[in-house]
Amino acid sequence: MSGSIFKERAKRFLMYAFLIVMSFISVFPLYWCFVSAFNTTQEVLGGKLVPGGHLMENIHNLMEQQQVFTALKNSFINTLLVVALSLTCCSIAGYGFEIYHDKWKDRVMGLLMLSMMVPFVALMVPMFQMFSAMGFLNKYIGFVLPSISTPFLIMLFRNNARTFPKEIIEAARVDGLNELQIFVRMFVPTMRPTYAAAATITFMNSWNSYLWPRVIMKTNESVTMPMLVANLTTGYIIDYGVVMAGVTICTLPTIIIFFFLQKSFTEAIAGSVK
Amino acid sequence: MKKILSVLLVAAMVIAMGSVAFAAEDGKITIWTWDPNFNIASMKIGAEMYQKDHPDVEIEIQEVQSENIETAVAQAAVAGNLDTLPDIMLCQDNSFQKMVINYPEVYTDITDMYDFEGFGEAKAAYSTIEGRHYGIPFDAGTVVAAYRTDYLAEAGYTVADLTDITWTEFAEKAKEIKEKTGKPVFCTQAGSGDWILIMIQSCGASMFTEEGAVNLKDNEAIKAAITVYADLVKDGIILETNSWDEMIGTLANGSVCGTFNGCWILGSIMATADQSGKWDITNLPSLDGIEGATHYSNNGGSSWAITQGTDVDLAIDFMQLYRNVDFYDAILPTTSAIATFAPAKEAPNYTAVNEFMGTPVFATIVEYGMSVPSNITGAYYYDARNAMATAITNYINGADLDAELANAEDTVNFAMGF
Repeated sequence: MSGSIFKERAKRFLMYAFLIVMSFISVFPLYWCFVSAFNTTQEVLGGKLVPGGHLMENIHNLMEQQQVFTALKNSFINTLLVVALSLTCCSIAGYGFEIYHDKWKDRVMGLLMLSMMVPFVALMVPMFQMFSAMGFLNKYIGFVLPSISTPFLIMLFRNNARTFPKEIIEAARVDGLNELQIFVRMFVPTMRPTYAAAATITFMNSWNSYLWPRVIMKTNESVTMPMLVANLTTGYIIDYGVVMAGVTICTLPTIIIFFFLQKSFTEAIAGSVK
Repeated sequence: MKKILSVLLVAAMVIAMGSVAFAAEDGKITIWTWDPNFNIASMKIGAEMYQKDHPDVEIEIQEVQSENIETAVAQAAVAGNLDTLPDIMLCQDNSFQKMVINYPEVYTDITDMYDFEGFGEAKAAYSTIEGRHYGIPFDAGTVVAAYRTDYLAEAGYTVADLTDITWTEFAEKAKEIKEKTGKPVFCTQAGSGDWILIMIQSCGASMFTEEGAVNLKDNEAIKAAITVYADLVKDGIILETNSWDEMIGTLANGSVCGTFNGCWILGSIMATADQSGKWDITNLPSLDGIEGATHYSNNGGSSWAITQGTDVDLAIDFMQLYRNVDFYDAILPTTSAIATFAPAKEAPNYTAVNEFMGTPVFATIVEYGMSVPSNITGAYYYDARNAMATAITNYINGADLDAELANAEDTVNFAMGF
């Protein structure tokens, strides 16, 4: 009896030890980044791991070198537009693919999935050509348009729509709701966790998006946060304290969003795998 | 449905055709450059100076990283849409020829519009293709050997002992310095190839022939440089780090006796205020037994290009600043950007004794810059540099040098389509 308790404890101990090590590995870079934002460049290079008193100085230098508020504003507007539009668009698509299911829609879905295999770099030049011809450079629409509909989000909504009971739809139809009302009043409220997961993923992707904005945003006024952080490391002299302050400011919104929606996020991702 | 589709297609074509055009002359100068503390700060000071005499001219400086400028040029050229480009843009010297050769429609030939008298010959050569000038030289990448004088004193040496010497002499002295101080003399990023390029340029040698053919395997200067470098690494005189940041770290925490790089490295050195008065610079050792070997070379730096079809005349007029000694004098204190325009060395800020170094270090660097032999970069510079860096790493790990260089040459030839 005592042997099995011992075994159980040893197992638990090993599991915790493993988890502690893994959490340390995951959290350390973030810790180092936050701490370094409080230190001077020399202290960062010297490997100092406790916060110093230079945060305000680093932020002041950052503000002096870069238009932080413009970048934050642009990143927020771009990201919120993408989240709102892509969630609307992809949830309707995912719902449609699953609820009005037929053989041809499956084939279209297959094609959509295939398009996930085409790397973005392969599309970049033709897309730049199109967007510059349409006058979308340096504009929010240039950032938002390519991200409104993504095969991944459609797939996420479609898979989660499978768990949505068909009987409810039938009942709603009998009760006289039209198709749009069924979607808005029945489907959307039930699928809240899926929306939360999709919002988290989309928020992170578009907040951290770097390559495409680099291609189409050419003015100081259209700069986004990741572009701003990248700008900090291009000089002959790199001020690591300032870089880390920039990285911290850039990371905070995604961390906040993730913590807010964490529970729904894991639920929906686990749901979609089932 | 068909009708709507065809209307849309026609509309798209009209829009697309309408945009294939050069930017209109709008009396405004747009500039693309990177680094707010260096290039951008210099251009801002320049813009202020220019606008004093030309209050009507609007000057807009946009921050764009160098690789993004290159991508934007490529995209604009491929899309036939040059109006997405600015009037003036900065280009890394090592990329300049590649960009002009690949996208000649973007760059203005300014040979007959601009006076190149007074600029370092090697510097101007970076942006010269077949005798035609496409770039206005800006900052120097003149190589300096910078030493911690306190460490040298510990070993019984002064900077003068390490001036005008050969690499063989350097190796002997460096061994003693390392023994007495317990510190490597120099530090460099492993696998970057920078050192070899610095050494071969100091002999006026290049990775390419004048005809543009790759020249690695039978290049005596390259072989000599790699041998010298590998021996120094094996003896622990040069410390190789895995990253650039780590390399800068060794300077900041004083774990090496010096550094050997483009003069812009002084910016990182001078940022360590507690080391003030402990540094001095000199020229670099020369390669033994190689024809044309000197003590001067270059690493880094960039030049300004003017795009075609934009406000070329206005841009050229604005760029006369780069022939103005007062401009170089004005930008030096805030940016540490060192001129490649010889007359600048007489400017007050250049001749003044630098507080950190205790010598008029900037005038010395401009003078070094005038003695740098020029080299050929061509369109495949970075391919050759990467291939050579692989050869160096393999050689240090015990491979045969001739075989490695032959292999590197094949790699570059393959990239060039031969």
